[in-house]
Amino acid sequence: MHMANELLSVPVAGATLAIAGGALGFVCRQTRKILSSEQLALMGVLGAFVFAAQMVNFRLPAMPGTSGHLVGAVLLAILLGPSLGAIVISSVIIIQCLIFQDGGLLALGCNIINMGLIPCYAGYYIYSAINGQSSKYWRTYAAAIAACVISLELGASLVPIEAALSGVLLVPLSTFLLTMLGVHAIVGIIEGLVTAAVLGYLQQVRPDIIRASIQGKIRMSKPATIATLAVIAAVTAAGLSLLASDKPDGLEWSYAERPDQENFEPIVANESRATTKVDAFQEKYSLMPDYSARNSKFGQTSEQESESAAGWTSLAGLAGAAATMLFVWLVAQIIRKNPPRSQKLI
Amino acid sequence: MHHAHIDKFAYQDSVIHRLDSRVKFIVLVLFTAVVISLPRHSIVLLSLYAIGPFAVLVLGAIPLRFVFKQILLVSPFIIVLALTCPFYDRTAVSAAIGPFSWTTTAGWLRCGSILGKFVITMMCMIALVSTTKFSNLLAGLQKLGVPRILVLQLGFLYRYIFVVIDKAQHMLLSRRGRSLVYLGFRSELKTGAAMIGSLFVRSIDTAEKISIAMQARGFNQDWRSISRLHIGWADFVFAAAVICYVLCLELFAKPLFT
Repeated sequence: MHMANELLSVPVAGATLAIAGGALGFVCRQTRKILSSEQLALMGVLGAFVFAAQMVNFRLPAMPGTSGHLVGAVLLAILLGPSLGAIVISSVIIIQCLIFQDGGLLALGCNIINMGLIPCYAGYYIYSAINGQSSKYWRTYAAAIAACVISLELGASLVPIEAALSGVLLVPLSTFLLTMLGVHAIVGIIEGLVTAAVLGYLQQVRPDIIRASIQGKIRMSKPATIATLAVIAAVTAAGLSLLASDKPDGLEWSYAERPDQENFEPIVANESRATTKVDAFQEKYSLMPDYSARNSKFGQTSEQESESAAGWTSLAGLAGAAATMLFVWLVAQIIRKNPPRSQKLI
Repeated sequence: MHHAHIDKFAYQDSVIHRLDSRVKFIVLVLFTAVVISLPRHSIVLLSLYAIGPFAVLVLGAIPLRFVFKQILLVSPFIIVLALTCPFYDRTAVSAAIGPFSWTTTAGWLRCGSILGKFVITMMCMIALVSTTKFSNLLAGLQKLGVPRILVLQLGFLYRYIFVVIDKAQHMLLSRRGRSLVYLGFRSELKTGAAMIGSLFVRSIDTAEKISIAMQARGFNQDWRSISRLHIGWADFVFAAAVICYVLCLELFAKPLFT
């Protein structure tokens, strides 16, 4: 769900960065008053915990070869409260962007909103609304799953909307939206299952940690597991039948399979309204595509000439770029005779 | 695991490494914005824009193979999205390079330009992170107005990622050693949840020890770095060079290729 820079236009990126930055600044100012220095270290280490917890994977049933893992936003929001959870998850997203280059710098605002702020706040309030002060384990269980599914869906549905606002996508909005919702419904249920199970484990071994946030005892039980699996099956089946007609299920599979579908052309024809709109938008904003054939469509007299001329221009551009890079590289090799000083330390 | 796995090159020394982190960060943001707002079908223009980040990477002595690997590692999602373009935009256009010209669709051009922009912005990002120590970057960000709590949080997070990941890897290794067959989803989930839960408990215990140790050493909720930030003439030269480069491309190259 990490968005890349290329999915956004600069105005949308700027606006979302401003919103995310403002919200984070506000949350930080609020929490500064209540934080002790012990909690500062705690928050940092819990951010690292989110990274590590994402490495713990387990095989999923019904989908051989796939494995699920925790995303962690809702779990942290439940355990720490939404504000601290939001700061921790946002810091995780920033580190993912800055150090692991996962998600673009301009898309950071979108990513923080989609994956940090919305899951933490929506997840926390949905969880506490459903769970309330109840001590029944099935209620906590349902609350955790509902919180994860709804908050992840909310966040996921923003991705296509932000991309559509930027006018970047050629895929019809409804297709992209349904795909994201379908995929993240499954992701959300798995996330909910793991969240509930982790809460159950913590309740058993360290009830002091979560006494403030969870009432009563929760644990994994057979009926609950069976019920959840039934829900997963039902949702998957419903999703598949809904999407089977023309909407794909699962981003990678669907687009890889698209060309094989025989009724591919009619689909495009059906949904061409959105496509033409996007096309018109694109036409308006990319003033003149650089490839000369577009010119030749209009000016047919000098078709051959203009085409070959533009061909040589673009060759010159490419060759120039390549030559410059080679030159820079060679110069650097010549200048840098001995290896950099600090390399000896490593 | 150690930090060296992700930003080992930040501890080298070069012209680029010595630049101020604030200048590099601002230049990165602006350059990325310029690249993202380029026209959608101009692959040749993109190749000219790639020269800048490439030069910075080479000057910073970052191995190009490392850059290439890093870009490949995070590319799957954007590749899938880029490859949807040819299916939705089938306007025939003909492209020409030198003596060759052939017919293709606007979707393919767009796919190429999305991937090109992705590679360029990734190169910029890698150029920043692998030529700047993270502590300096954080100090710079704090000077630029990022809230202190967030800076502290990022600092702690960066420091303890690999401490906690090491613990997780030990647990994963022992799970692999003990589970010979697939026991069904329920026990998988139970085991996974127990691992995550105990990881959580261990993280909290670690955090308690850390905060006691830090308070014993006089931590007063401030982020401090031993290296001083200052903007010198090299930073002005760098900023001016980047501005000249972008202006030249915008004024001379853009009309030529669009």
